[in-house]
This record gives sequence, structure tokens and C-alpha cells, in this order.
Amino acid sequence: MLEVENLHKRYGDVVALDGCSFQVKQGQLLGFLGPNGSGKTTTMRTVFSLVRPDEGAVRWNGNPIGATTRLRFGYMPEQRGLYPRMKVVSQLVYFGRLHGMSKTEATTAAGQWLERLGLDDRAGSRLEQLSHGNQQRIQLAAALIHDPELLILDEPFSGLDPIGVEDMIAVLVERTERGAAVVFSSHQLDLVEDLCEDVVIIAAGKVVLSGPIRELRARSSHRYLEIEVATRRSDLAGAFPGYEVVTSNNGRVRLRVDDNTPLEPLIRTAAELGRVRQFSYAPPNLSEVFREVVAQ
Amino acid sequence: MNTWRSILLVAGRDFRERVSSRAFQMSTAITLLFVVGWIVVPAIFFDDEPEAWRIGVVGQEPAGLTTAVETAAGHQATVETVAYDSRADAETAIEDGEVEVAIDSSGTILVDNGISDQMQAAVITGLATIEIADRADELGIEVTEIAELFTGGYEVQSVAPPGAADSESNRVFAFFVTVILFMSIVTYGSWILIGVIEEKTNRVVEVVLGTLRPHHLLAGKVIGIGVLGIAQILLIGVVAMILLPLQDAFDVPSAAGSVLAWAFVWYLLGFAFYAVAYAAAGSLVSRQEEAQNAAFPLTMMLMAAYFVATFSITGENPVLMIASLLPMFAPMTMPLRIAGADAKAWELALSLLLMVISIYGLVRFAGRVYAGGLLQGAGRVKWKEAFRASETEK
Repeated sequence: MLEVENLHKRYGDVVALDGCSFQVKQGQLLGFLGPNGSGKTTTMRTVFSLVRPDEGAVRWNGNPIGATTRLRFGYMPEQRGLYPRMKVVSQLVYFGRLHGMSKTEATTAAGQWLERLGLDDRAGSRLEQLSHGNQQRIQLAAALIHDPELLILDEPFSGLDPIGVEDMIAVLVERTERGAAVVFSSHQLDLVEDLCEDVVIIAAGKVVLSGPIRELRARSSHRYLEIEVATRRSDLAGAFPGYEVVTSNNGRVRLRVDDNTPLEPLIRTAAELGRVRQFSYAPPNLSEVFREVVAQ
Repeated sequence: MNTWRSILLVAGRDFRERVSSRAFQMSTAITLLFVVGWIVVPAIFFDDEPEAWRIGVVGQEPAGLTTAVETAAGHQATVETVAYDSRADAETAIEDGEVEVAIDSSGTILVDNGISDQMQAAVITGLATIEIADRADELGIEVTEIAELFTGGYEVQSVAPPGAADSESNRVFAFFVTVILFMSIVTYGSWILIGVIEEKTNRVVEVVLGTLRPHHLLAGKVIGIGVLGIAQILLIGVVAMILLPLQDAFDVPSAAGSVLAWAFVWYLLGFAFYAVAYAAAGSLVSRQEEAQNAAFPLTMMLMAAYFVATFSITGENPVLMIASLLPMFAPMTMPLRIAGADAKAWELALSLLLMVISIYGLVRFAGRVYAGGLLQGAGRVKWKEAFRASETEK
């Protein structure tokens, strides 16, 4: 289990981390969310000792993380980087060996990864000769070559096409099922909602919300109503006076209400407008939870 | 992961990637071609065959003239004589270029403006030798005694210890090593500089530093590129040594074994010192265009050391003495003093000690600067900021 405990970090006047704490267990896939500049990358770098916190600690299975432990971790930084002129297979073998694998082990693992990614015919190519998408796949393989117990990925989905996103999801799920602790940051919240059960949301260097997505949504004091009515009047924004309209178009309206708001008057108003095609009442989605909590 | 495994892993990668790069292979091939051309071409076009001199003689040819002139010319020329009946014939022959010079037995040497000083001197000396031998003979002095007459019967004996007699050629050799050191630091230092900046621009350094300590990465880079550089120099040196005998006129600097060994030690120390400094400089900038700015102070130091060495090739002086104790100058100046047998044991010991301490200190310092500088974003980082920003070094 990775324990991040009460991390503080200042750069001059800028507070990067202000008491950040959370945990990830083996076999858990955790979405690590937060607006730009909230301290996600600094937290991740702390795990790899690239940043030394002013206060607080990071522990793995209860122990401080030393150089040897760190070799069993895998890291994919936000700013991707490999050696452009190095051959793909040599590159993977090098990263395997940097993580403590023997040359033979690393060579075998590199072969398996290239086969799995369907790139075994490109093993001898220089990285720069590969397409952007394939370079991203090699980057992922470089982070996973040594079969890490903890995998930390900073914005793994950014810059991927839909097929790349699917491949990435498949790999993350597979790693988690095989018992690795996986943490990744992302701004694509719909994707996070589909993929993970748990998230941590950080703002201004502090964790503002964490837990299973389902609970976080239910815990919100707001509910969202989605109403669709067959009417000639396409803009329904003014049809529900006294209610907060989130979006409105083509006979559809999305309203935000408190969780104790009675629904009957709304149902009646909707029915008076025309034939009701849809009337749904649900807690906020992850995106809305995120916005509510970060805006505070 | 243990220290040496990390360092060797990094060194191995840098070495292999560079050896297999087209740029390295091309530059090695071009340098080799240049060296081969420099040695072989003059050997083909400027052969050292002795010149053929033709000397006109009017009247009786002095006995032994040919041998005497050839000896006086240091056997750099073969002499052939042509007899003329009259002085006028000889003058015409010189004008026509049939002979370069003519001897009139009445006591005149005929020349024109085209004659070389060397030839004129050889002819006069040759004639004088014959004259001296003749007169000595008349006086009843044996030919073997003539040499004694010229030295007054004294013999020159050196009281200098054996080896010191070579200090001139030793110093030339040491300077030769200084020049090679200067050139290799400039060349391979810039490779290290570029290599470090490349890793930074590629952002690959963030993953690499997650697995090993910054000073391991630094040491590995310096060793990998350093070994490659030394291998390249050895290759070029060996080729040059094989081909040089083709060129008789070139003196391969020879040196006593100890001078050679010390030169090698200082070469390695100097290389290590500057290579580490270049790596640290590289970690302070993030774009290749800024590389030369970052390396500017180092280049200046290097130039200063080189100039002190150049002006001190003739021998000991106070500037050389002080420079040979300072780590940034010692690798290029101390070998000269060792070669001239000018360095005292305590000076050598002090200089070595300072050198080793400063290399160690520089590795640690550069390790911190490296760690701080590598993870900074764009732009140029100041030494002090990078040093303070260092996170991983404890």
C-alpha cells in the first residue's frame, strides 16, 4: 500500500503542497484529479524522490521508500521522454535494466511487450521513426517493463487517439487485476468515472475530496434533473422559473436542485409544456462533483 | 541498485549509442583520412632523395673535392663535377644552368644569384677542408690529429644525471600531450554538454532519475563519453604511429618512461575535471542554443591554461609554477614541469592532492547542480539556484 501523508512543499512564495494525504492499495486503480497547478505532479515526483517535501512522508507497505524499493515502481511522467535516436528494443532493455532487471530478463520482457503492442517488427527501428501513437505505446511499455508493484502515470491519456485510449485502459485494468497499485491523473473526467471506483481530488495542494465515486456523488447536497419534452418551444430555459438551469437546448433542460427539493411541481410543469419524453433525477456526475468541490 | 552497476549501465548506453551513431563514425573516418593524408601525401610528393649538385671545375680539380663537399653538405646532396677548359666556358655553363657553381683553380668560386646559401657554404667548407688537410700534411700532422686541433685536445663530458639530458625532448613531448588534452577536452567536453542537454530536452531524465542518483547519471555519462574519446584518440594515435616512419623528416617526440606515465595520469585527471564541469554546465540550460553560453567560463579557463603552457614551453617560470598547483590549470602545466625536471616532489604531491579533492568535490557539487538543474523547466538556471533547488541529493 502506498501512503502519502501530510505532504507540504513550498517553492519560494508558492505553496505547491499544503498537507496532501491519501492511500492506494494493491489491486486498486485510483484517479488522482485536480485543476492545473493543484500539486498533482509535485505529489507524484515526491514518490520518486525527485522532490523532497518540506514536511510529511511517503511510505510503501509501512516503510519509507528507499532506492531499492523505488526500482519496483513504474513512472510515466506528464512530459513524455525517451531517447529519440535509440532503437526501440534497446530502449526498453535499458529501462528494464535501470529498474534492476538482468540483461536476459529485460530482453525477454522487451520482446513480450513489443509482441503484445503489435510492434515486434519495429524492434530495430529508432524511436523517432515511429508514429506519435506508437511512441506513446513504447513509453508505456518502458514504464511497465519491470512489472512494477506501484504504477504512477501523469496524464496517461493526453494526446492519445480513441484507439490509444482503449489500449491504455486495457493495460491499466490488467495491471490492477494482477495486483498492482495504480495511480493516474487525468482531466478527462468521464473516462475516469467509467474506469475507476475511487478518486482523490486535490486543489491548492490539499485533498478536498476522496473516496468511491458512487459515494462522493451521493454525498453531494445537489441533484440534477434532466427533462425532455416534445414541444415546439425549443428553449426551455425560462419554462422553470425559480430553478437553476445548467444547460438548455432542443427541448431538453438540465436543472440543478437541492437534494430535498420536492419533484411533483416540476413534473406538473413539464407535463403542461407537452408530452414528457424523459424525466431523470440523479446525483451529480464526477465532472459536476469536481466543479462543485474545486470552486469552493 | 548498487552504485557501480548504475554508473556502468549509463556509461554503457552512452558509449554504445555514440559508437553506433553515423555522426561519430563519420567524424572518426574524416579525422583518420586527414591524419593519413597529412602523413602520406608529403611522403609521396616531397621525397627526401639527396639533391644532385653539379659543380664546374676550371683547371686542375682539387683531389677529393666530391667527397669533401658531400661531407660538408651533411650528405644531403650528391656531387658531380664537370670540367671546363676556360673560365668563360664555366660562366656560360652557369648562365645556361648546366652547373650551379664553378671552381676556378686560380682561386675564384663562380656563382650566380640562384645559388642556395647551403650549397655555397658546402662548397667553401669542402674546399677549406681539402686545403687544411694539404697544409697539415705539409707540416707533418696526421689527418687524425686534425680533429684534435679543432677542440684543443679537450673532450666535452656531461655531469647531468642520465635522463635529464633529454629534458628538451621531454618538454616537447609533454607539450604535445597538452595539445592533445586541450583538443580532446574541447571536443568531448562539448559532446558531454550536448548529451546532457539532449537528455533534458527529451525529458527522459525524469524517468531515469526515478531509478538512480543524479551523480550516478553524471559519472556514467562522463565515463561513457570519456572512454569513447580516449578510444578514438588511441585509434588515431596508433594509425599515426604506424604511418609516421614513412615521413623521415618528422621526429616522433620521444620521452622517458616516467614522463610518459605522468603525462597519461594528468591527461586522465584533466579530462575528468573538465568533463564533470561540462556536465554540470549542461544541466543548467535547456536548449542547445544556450550550450555555448553555459560552457563559456570553462572555455575561458581552458584557454588560459593552454596559453600558460604555450608560453612556458621553453622552461620554468613563476606563472607556470603557480598554475601547476591549481586544479583547473595543473593538467596542462604540471606535465611540462615534470618533463623539465623542474617540479619538486612536494609540489607534485600538493598538486595531485588538490586535483583529486577538487574532482571529488566537483562531482558532488555538479551532482547537486545537475539534480537541481535537470528538473527545472525552460530557460537558463543559475548555478546557485540549481544548487539550492536540488532535491534528491542528501
